[in-house]
Amino acid sequence: MIVFGVLLLLLALFGAPLFAVIAASALASYSREDIDLSALVIEFFSIAEMPVLLAIPLFTFAGYVLSESQAPGRLVRLSQALLGWMPGGLAIVSLAACAFFTAFTGASGVTIIALGAILYPALAQSGYDSKFNLGLVTSAGSLGLLFAPSLPLILYGIVAQVPIDDLFLAGILPGMLMLFMLAGWSLWVNRGTAQPLAAFSWQKVASALRESVWDLPLPIVVLGGIYSGYFAVSEAAAVTALYAIIVEVFILREIPLRQLPDIMRESMLLVGGILVILGVSLASTNIMIDIGAPQQLLAWISGFVSSQTSFLLLLLLFLLVLGAILDIFSALVLVVPLILPVALQYGVEPVHLGMIFLATMQLGYLTPPVGLNLFIASYRFERPITEVYAATFPFLVILLLSVIVITFWPSLSLVFL
Amino acid sequence: MLARLARWGKAAEDTVLVLLLSAMIALATSQIVMRNLFDSGLIWADEALRLMVLWLALAGAVAAARADKHISIDVLSRFLPPIGFRLARTVTHLFTAGVCGAIAWHAWRFVASSREYEDTLLGDQPAWIFQVVLPVAFALMAWRYLCLALTAFVALFAKRRGDAAS
Repeated sequence: MIVFGVLLLLLALFGAPLFAVIAASALASYSREDIDLSALVIEFFSIAEMPVLLAIPLFTFAGYVLSESQAPGRLVRLSQALLGWMPGGLAIVSLAACAFFTAFTGASGVTIIALGAILYPALAQSGYDSKFNLGLVTSAGSLGLLFAPSLPLILYGIVAQVPIDDLFLAGILPGMLMLFMLAGWSLWVNRGTAQPLAAFSWQKVASALRESVWDLPLPIVVLGGIYSGYFAVSEAAAVTALYAIIVEVFILREIPLRQLPDIMRESMLLVGGILVILGVSLASTNIMIDIGAPQQLLAWISGFVSSQTSFLLLLLLFLLVLGAILDIFSALVLVVPLILPVALQYGVEPVHLGMIFLATMQLGYLTPPVGLNLFIASYRFERPITEVYAATFPFLVILLLSVIVITFWPSLSLVFL
Repeated sequence: MLARLARWGKAAEDTVLVLLLSAMIALATSQIVMRNLFDSGLIWADEALRLMVLWLALAGAVAAARADKHISIDVLSRFLPPIGFRLARTVTHLFTAGVCGAIAWHAWRFVASSREYEDTLLGDQPAWIFQVVLPVAFALMAWRYLCLALTAFVALFAKRRGDAAS
């Protein structure tokens, strides 16, 4: 059994798709427990029994449509008009725009590609140090993960069976904290050199608003619709998808109709990848709960962890390591069902656990060896990967500090609930 | 011949993805309109939407298998020399093909038993019609990964020959 486990781990580390590795381990456990192997398929089929899952393909597709359009440029110009008057304005603009965009596109790396391409040269032009610039754009690429309606938030709600609207509310302050800490640090680093972009001008704000007139309803419709109870999260996703098509294809005509099938295909590759992992993880979770894995985990941990504080510390360390080797979606579906019962025993709220989990996983985008943002930035801006590591490191430290605050200050996540 | 088959396969795959996603958007938004404006809606719509998510997930997974774009960790193979890399790919692709084949087989058994027990979905429709996508999708993925494994395997020898020639 141990040999089989090591073999699977090696296969995973050598690049076998995770869904196949998870499925193989689930099949092996089923056959050891003398359960019919078609149980895996029955579990997989329960994907068709989760109404909220509808939100995942629809939001992902809408995000892809937006990033293929001119919306990223408009977002940057609007942020410039609103925030550019501050010292170090462009750095703040970059952070705010990236966070907003990531919330809508689901932190799959599209932020760096869509916004980074505009911000990276703009920051260089405004005289920011190239190392700071590279680090900022790379780390901002996954900022906003905690803001509604980001994909990982929705997936956590599905896996942990927590109302997704609660998670949307809970993410506001922790997400703001990350944003403000990075912004504060950017100001501090550039205190000698950073110039305001331009004086604040109502005229510029008005023209940027006019330009974005078709994009602005989107966040209002999505968030307003969900919080006012007009529609559920999955319906908000449907509205977003339809609205994005109507505006970008038919009104603004920034995406030709014949390009739409390609965008659909590209976005559904990601969705297929995530949902297949979810499907086989449902099976592996099921067997792990059957054999009492969470109880064993709890018994083991309670041997040396007694207080909530020390549990949170251990959790944080574990998640940091996990985030460094596993992508956020696989980590969510595989690990949350195991640690949630344990966390409950230590009095950690499921919603707070979600914030800790996602905030820590966000660091995983920036940590070697598999940090997705590092590779995308290295590829996109044609810098050696080691240079990206070094440039991102200070931002990683700031984000780590914010994760520590989020972990040990539960009311930050729970104040609105 | 094979190239044409592959081209048709991709076209069919794209068509399925586009139709499913478009239908999903249309159905979900029309439900909202009907509920909020006319206080009505199609009874079967919610269940149909959930089934479409499953189909879309499987169609997306098949498309991702074609492009070898499934989520993976892959930290070690980039340190390998080219030959080792191709060897690792041959092994991981074969493994994935095997797992998909096993899932397809058990999915087939699942569908067969659902047919035998005359399970129904969407009112009184036979459930197996909707479930049969499971074995089909995993069989297609198994086939895809088998092709990828063969490609990697052949490249292994092509590279050797290239080395010998130079």
